[in-house]
Amino acid sequence: MADEKKSKQRHRVMVLASMYPVVALMLILVACVELCDAATVVDVYRLIQYDISGVPFGSRFSSLNHHAASLSFQRGADLSRSVLILPLRELDIGFVQDYISQKQSLGGLLILLPQTFRPGNVGGGSQSSENDGFRNLLAQLEKLLVHGNIPFPVYFAFENEETDAMLADVKKNDALGQQATATTGGYKLVISVSEPRKIASPTITNIQGWLPGSRADGDSNQLPTIAVVASYDTFGAAPALSVGSDSNGSGVVSLLEVARLFSILYSNPKTRGRYNLLFALTSGGPYNYEGTQKWLKSLDQRMRESIDYAICLNSVGSWDNELLIHVSKPPDNAYIKQIFEGFSNVAEDLGFQVALKHKKINISNSRVAWEHEQFSRLRVTAATLSELSTPPELLENTGSLSDTRQLVNEDAIIKGVKLVAESLAKHIYGHQGKDIKIFADDSSLAVNPFYVRSWLDLLSQTPRVAPFLSKNDPLIMALKKELEEYTAEVSVQHESLDGSFTFYDSTKASLNIYQVASVTFDLLLLLVLGSYLIVLFSFLVITTRGLDDLISLFRRPPSRKVKMA
Amino acid sequence: MTLFHFFNCAILTFGPHAVYYSATPLSEYDTLGTSVKAAVVYLATALVKLVCLATFLQVSETEVFDPYQEALKAMIGFIDVAGLYYALAQLTHRNISQNHKFQAVGLGWAFADSVLHRLAPLWVGARGLEFTWDYVLQGLEANANLVFTISLAALGSLMWLRKNKPKSLIPIIYTCAVIIATMPSITSYLKRVMGWHFPKIVGFELVTSLVMAFISCQLFILCQRPSL
Repeated sequence: MADEKKSKQRHRVMVLASMYPVVALMLILVACVELCDAATVVDVYRLIQYDISGVPFGSRFSSLNHHAASLSFQRGADLSRSVLILPLRELDIGFVQDYISQKQSLGGLLILLPQTFRPGNVGGGSQSSENDGFRNLLAQLEKLLVHGNIPFPVYFAFENEETDAMLADVKKNDALGQQATATTGGYKLVISVSEPRKIASPTITNIQGWLPGSRADGDSNQLPTIAVVASYDTFGAAPALSVGSDSNGSGVVSLLEVARLFSILYSNPKTRGRYNLLFALTSGGPYNYEGTQKWLKSLDQRMRESIDYAICLNSVGSWDNELLIHVSKPPDNAYIKQIFEGFSNVAEDLGFQVALKHKKINISNSRVAWEHEQFSRLRVTAATLSELSTPPELLENTGSLSDTRQLVNEDAIIKGVKLVAESLAKHIYGHQGKDIKIFADDSSLAVNPFYVRSWLDLLSQTPRVAPFLSKNDPLIMALKKELEEYTAEVSVQHESLDGSFTFYDSTKASLNIYQVASVTFDLLLLLVLGSYLIVLFSFLVITTRGLDDLISLFRRPPSRKVKMA
Repeated sequence: MTLFHFFNCAILTFGPHAVYYSATPLSEYDTLGTSVKAAVVYLATALVKLVCLATFLQVSETEVFDPYQEALKAMIGFIDVAGLYYALAQLTHRNISQNHKFQAVGLGWAFADSVLHRLAPLWVGARGLEFTWDYVLQGLEANANLVFTISLAALGSLMWLRKNKPKSLIPIIYTCAVIIATMPSITSYLKRVMGWHFPKIVGFELVTSLVMAFISCQLFILCQRPSL
């Protein structure tokens, strides 16, 4: 008997021992709670995060895992563990400003933009007054967010049916006073990305195209050069959405079209002018035109001295009647007078006006408001052609969220191209004051509206923030290829962005929206199920064994000691 | 929280089987072996059904109710009945009364069915953050399925194991058995043609299962009388 018991015990112990690894494995498996696919996944775009000389700006965090809340929350509620969903349509700038300036803690901010601001969205010219209102609001919001230091993640998303339904639900719950937390259910917004890291040595890429003029036989002097320059990169609140159609997509498109027209002219030796043409697509525009400065410094000194003048194009896509020529040399300078007269004569013929604006350069101030100032600092005569009348502030008018394709008018660009091309041609071929149209419509040298439109559409769908463009980005390759077709020599220059600007990655993410049930619900369900199983048990016992058996289950068995005795 | 939900749905899906086993005299007579054998037979039947379905059925992309496909599916469904017959009649069981034999076989059959069809979706789906009612409804469906299977096993034992039955009851027995056996086709008809949603279908299944259980219980009692 004792032996049997002992062997049984040993057997039992061995069975138990062998179960331990299995149990451990089961526990590990159980602990890996996978986040299975959410019912709703939305593309979201993060607010930019950057430092200027070590001072942080923008949103400093990227990952998000909180409950959703809307504007209808009760005053005084704690939102530090909630994500506030703000549709642009109901945005109150003052509220956001208060929140940021008072440094109140918030789990996160999700701004819902109307579909019309989506980069690929071309249609929808109607309801423009409503859209204008949104544009202004968006511009104000962007300025606030870009220049502030925000200690929570900020994301932009586009409205769609699912977000609308979720927002309506969240508003209803908030109005009832049941704010979503772990115990009351609701919606949970999860963005799981790694912490944003600094972009090590961001590069800016300048692309230049050189179209040589015809040299007369026996003339050994260097031909003079005219330069046409436009900066192609952008900067905005959401780098993944900064397509900058007007600033400066319009400038790039104008430059390409002018290059195309002059390449036709210069391809025939008889019509080749006595000027070289230099086309430059520069980068680093928003950062005080750093790319332009580096490009100029890299040019051969003789080449630089041979530049007669340079025309910089900046935002020429949404003007009606007047373009502005900004200069830094005083207007009574002979060169400036000549240039301005040429432009204004052509403009008169074409039916609009140009005005001259002078802004002195302050050498002690490092802020470079216009691209031509970089030329002027190196003693090259230059002017900027733009629709803007006041010089933009740092990081403004550089391709914001509201700068979409709909803002740009193709006709404005075409008029601008005609202006530049005719004025350059007058200067090159020397028909000052004569009424000759070289690039007339319906001629072989007409401005091609389809070309303008297709490049404008392409640029309006490509975000172009310089630190996020790699050296061989498809856009840069495309621009290079395009210039190669129209110019004789193309060279690409890679430089690194100066130390005062630092950028952080993680610009795009996927937002998972989960509809979660509260813990109380689960407890309730457990209670219900428990009682159901107990009722089932009793029912079965009663029907198959009889009521007595059920009662006997609960009665203590009569004491064994009494029986044995 | 999500594991909690998984636990809840698991006890809803598999709890009743355990409760049934422990509450009825099945546990007293230790009929676990019968149930296990029935589960194994179910596995084999499921395999055969799968092979037949894969061979003969065309996969349609849309949720269109094709009568021929459904008829084919129903015929393949009768393989289920054949499997049940094998488990009831052909397998040798320990000496247990007929009363308990069909219950044990039905229980093992239903348990294997639940595990095979519902455990994997439960494990993968119910542990996520997102909350849906699907898994609770699936658990209720498992309960209805248990009742159906036990009723079918009861009718099956009446059909194949009992030799002397009152003549008038035989057609009723066979009709009920056919209805229960074609339940899958009926539910798919409801889902596709009538466009019923899952909760409605589960409700319908629960009600029908209770009705069928009642009818088969009555039939069983009626058939028992002559042998007394």
